[in-house]
Amino acid sequence: MRKKIVSVLLTTAMVTAMLAGCGGKDTTASSDGSEKSPSAEAGSSSGDEITLKVFSNLPDRKNGQGLVEQKIIDEYMEENPNVKIEVEALDEEAYKTKFKAYSMEGLPDVVSIWGQPAFLDEVLDAGVLAELNESDYDDYGFVSGSLEGFKKDGKLYGLPRNTDVAGFYYNQKMFEDNGWEVPKTYDELLELAGTIKDAGYIPLAMDGGDGWPMAVYLSDLLYKVAGSDYSSIVSNAVATGDFTDSSIVKATELLKETADAGLFQNGYDSQDYATAQNLFINGQAAMYYMGSWDASMALNEDIDEDIRTNIRVFTMPVVDGGKGTATDIAAWNGGGYGVSASSEHKDEAIKFLNYMYQPDKLSKYGWENGVGMSAQDQSAYMTGDETELQMQFVDAVNNATSVSGTPINDCGPSAFKTGIESEIQSVSNGSMSVDDFLSSIGKACQ
Amino acid sequence: MEMIGSKKKKKKLSKPILYVILIIVAVIQIFPLIWLLDFSLASSSEMFTNGLLVMPKKIQWGNYVKAFVDGNFLWYLKNSILINGLAVLLVIVVSIMSAFACRRMKWKLSTFVKTLLLMGLMIPIHATLLPNYKIYSRLGMTDTIWALLIPYVAFSLPQGLFLMTSFMESIPVELEEAAVMDGCGIYRILFQIITPMLKSSIATVAIMTFLNNWNEFMMASTYLSSDKWKTLPFSVLEFTGEYSSNYAVQFAVMALTAAPAVIVYIILNKHITKGVAMGAVKG
Amino acid sequence: MKKLYSNKWVILSLVLPGLFLFVFAILAPICLSVYYGFTNYSGMGSYQFVGWENYKNLFHDAAFGTSLRNSLLLAIGFIFIQHPLAMIVAAVLDKLGGKGENFFRCVYFIPNVISVAVIAYLWKFIYNPDFGLLNNIIKAFGGKGDINWFNYDTAIWAVLIVLIWHGFGWGMLIYYTGIKNIDPVLYEAAAIDGATQIQIFFKITLPQMKPVIQVNVTMAVISALKQMETVYLLTNGGPGNSTQFAANYLYQQAFKAYKYGYGNAIGVVFIIICLLVTVILNKIFEEREAKIKVKEVA
Repeated sequence: MRKKIVSVLLTTAMVTAMLAGCGGKDTTASSDGSEKSPSAEAGSSSGDEITLKVFSNLPDRKNGQGLVEQKIIDEYMEENPNVKIEVEALDEEAYKTKFKAYSMEGLPDVVSIWGQPAFLDEVLDAGVLAELNESDYDDYGFVSGSLEGFKKDGKLYGLPRNTDVAGFYYNQKMFEDNGWEVPKTYDELLELAGTIKDAGYIPLAMDGGDGWPMAVYLSDLLYKVAGSDYSSIVSNAVATGDFTDSSIVKATELLKETADAGLFQNGYDSQDYATAQNLFINGQAAMYYMGSWDASMALNEDIDEDIRTNIRVFTMPVVDGGKGTATDIAAWNGGGYGVSASSEHKDEAIKFLNYMYQPDKLSKYGWENGVGMSAQDQSAYMTGDETELQMQFVDAVNNATSVSGTPINDCGPSAFKTGIESEIQSVSNGSMSVDDFLSSIGKACQ
Repeated sequence: MEMIGSKKKKKKLSKPILYVILIIVAVIQIFPLIWLLDFSLASSSEMFTNGLLVMPKKIQWGNYVKAFVDGNFLWYLKNSILINGLAVLLVIVVSIMSAFACRRMKWKLSTFVKTLLLMGLMIPIHATLLPNYKIYSRLGMTDTIWALLIPYVAFSLPQGLFLMTSFMESIPVELEEAAVMDGCGIYRILFQIITPMLKSSIATVAIMTFLNNWNEFMMASTYLSSDKWKTLPFSVLEFTGEYSSNYAVQFAVMALTAAPAVIVYIILNKHITKGVAMGAVKG
Repeated sequence: MKKLYSNKWVILSLVLPGLFLFVFAILAPICLSVYYGFTNYSGMGSYQFVGWENYKNLFHDAAFGTSLRNSLLLAIGFIFIQHPLAMIVAAVLDKLGGKGENFFRCVYFIPNVISVAVIAYLWKFIYNPDFGLLNNIIKAFGGKGDINWFNYDTAIWAVLIVLIWHGFGWGMLIYYTGIKNIDPVLYEAAAIDGATQIQIFFKITLPQMKPVIQVNVTMAVISALKQMETVYLLTNGGPGNSTQFAANYLYQQAFKAYKYGYGNAIGVVFIIICLLVTVILNKIFEEREAKIKVKEVA
């Protein structure tokens, strides 16, 4: 018997060794093949074979933003046969972790970035992103001010992809069937939470495991409490490490009250993005708090039609005694793309970047795929076929009297971001007091 | 005779109780996997039930098709087999060589070197993730097979060495003496006389190494970036992002990823059990 | 013969591959960690030497303390929950005999061959408070079934259960082998004395298994210290830092908080703790063995 195992093992070993040989040959063969492929008539800047590596935070390549990105990549490769684009895509948390690992020893050619201090400051200090020529983008129709987050000392290092709006997605049919109303004030929202719970549904699905959606929620609340003072309060707090401003205290207390009132699902503080979203799109939860990029849910074939066509959205209701009005909304220009400073094919990478941002690419395709709003002028692509959900977001932005700018967690250094995103769970679920929370995130700023 | 008879009786009496205990434990160990299989054949919305298992309205084989095709299953399986196969082979060869040198050869530093090599048993592999990332990227080894192969072999080597030395002790020296008389060199003694006698320990080392590394993904996800060398456990991670709004397909990927190891285990179960037992008791 | 066996070149050629692997994959990274542990390197750009700063911070870092406490809890859980269960089941299984014995042994081991990636994701679903298997089981028995398993205070136990479940087969198998190795003569003698099954278990099985138990306990402590992958996927240390473990924490600090230097300092302390614990455990067991031998002689 023993002999048999050994012989089995030895054969396996031999086979694997042979496979190794084959594998090696295979890859060389294929690369040989592609080198021979016609590229002379490509008519691009150079006839050489170029492989561009794109590192993306959009792992779902069949829906929404990921689909749009992939579509543009495919088109680019078709128009430039000498360029091969390899995509590595991870979801946001994993992406940011690996991005930092990459930034130690050289980034892939084109990367997803966020035009926010918590993400970008250290990255720009280290000089790992290539500088872009701002005047190149004069005709690209970028919304005014949207490039600011990607600049350092007046130089541009990236381009914004979206205008993000935070919102409460809700299931209109479920609301109508049960006679629920869209809340006008925060108290109404908390009251509604009880009503929905009694009906046997989850009031609101929250991605509390990741931390950042909760921080966005806190920012949203803070904006309603502090109104136009929001950004000065936040930048002040981050600069001094003192978070005891009464507005911040009130917003944090409201967040805790909200969790206590049972607005979020049971165990929200350990559930991830996908779980929260699935609760909503499978009819378990009546509402779902997320950014406008998820408006593509309305077109996602994986979701039951009954639910998909009934998704609507409202923005944070006003807080009693708060300075923010209903039309002061939490919105910002967050995600975008940049090019690696150490890229071997920097010119080609920038060329591809510019290609993506041609007004009829990211912006148009994004719009057609219901991804919410780009950071560019989209009015030319209004077709009249937009989903109602999309139009609701457009109206929210068009009617907005002011927008918040960067959420609080992204306003400080990355140690602050890590701190607030892990402690916000503790303060909302009551395992940490509001005071301790505020002093702990203050410490992380220093 | 009577004694044995009564003993048998006692055993028979308690058998139902034994079975009850064993079955309960078996259910606890296996039911989650049955649950996984069940939902991998249902549609996503059917997951949200209150029942323990669902009877899918329509069996969704499509989940597996998606998992198989979009999950690049065969490619990742090939990578896993290749990397683990090579790791096993290298661990065996290197551990036999080091064991022989430290155990049989006569030199001053033999115990020191052996202790040094065995230190690896105590070092937490994840503590080397940060510095190794730096080293590998400097040497241009990230995203190559070496980034996985080297740590896999290095961290399985101490166990292999330990087992090989203890097995080698049981081989009589006379055998080698005779071979030396016949004019054999060290290499021939080692590979033609000693190695064949280590068959059962080679099997043990192979099994332990395989079990150690087959499921590893932390290093794979840190050191690799393209699809070229990604291994099977990685496909699960990748897929949960890719199909975040389709739970059923995620379940299918999980089931599919688990399948090869489980099937191989069931087929070779007796040998693997023996190997693990031997390795664990010695080590 | 002697000359042949002390040929330096032959020896060198035999140990070189092993030594190379040790130096390249274990020693070099440790040295690098020690080096970066004294810097404020963020992972990018330039850095300064900060002396013992990182280590001083580590000393006051509550999250690191939690990691060590969690490792301790995990080790206790392994030793006092998983191992006794595994041993009892192994003893019961040993009595069974025949095809049933093989069948159950095989079934128990199956979770062990499945990737942690699959196990962690699967249990994430099992624990889900809204549609997970566990709450559905409670509902099936008439309970309310709305337990939040990853509650701040209890999350660590939820993690523990997964690890115990996943590693159960391994522990069982080792005890099972240990039991099989016990000389049957001892049992026969006990049976002649009229001992009951339970007496036999405590008087014969348990003492005979001492060496196996010692090995298993050492392994349990070490694997509790080294825990990373399951936690990384299951909770990533949350909620808060309640399920944090050293390996996961150093990874987070280095690759998420841009504190590569600090992460490496954690790594160094972590390695030292692992080495110390192993040495201490070995010492304890050695002394005990020596004492027992002395007693036996006396």
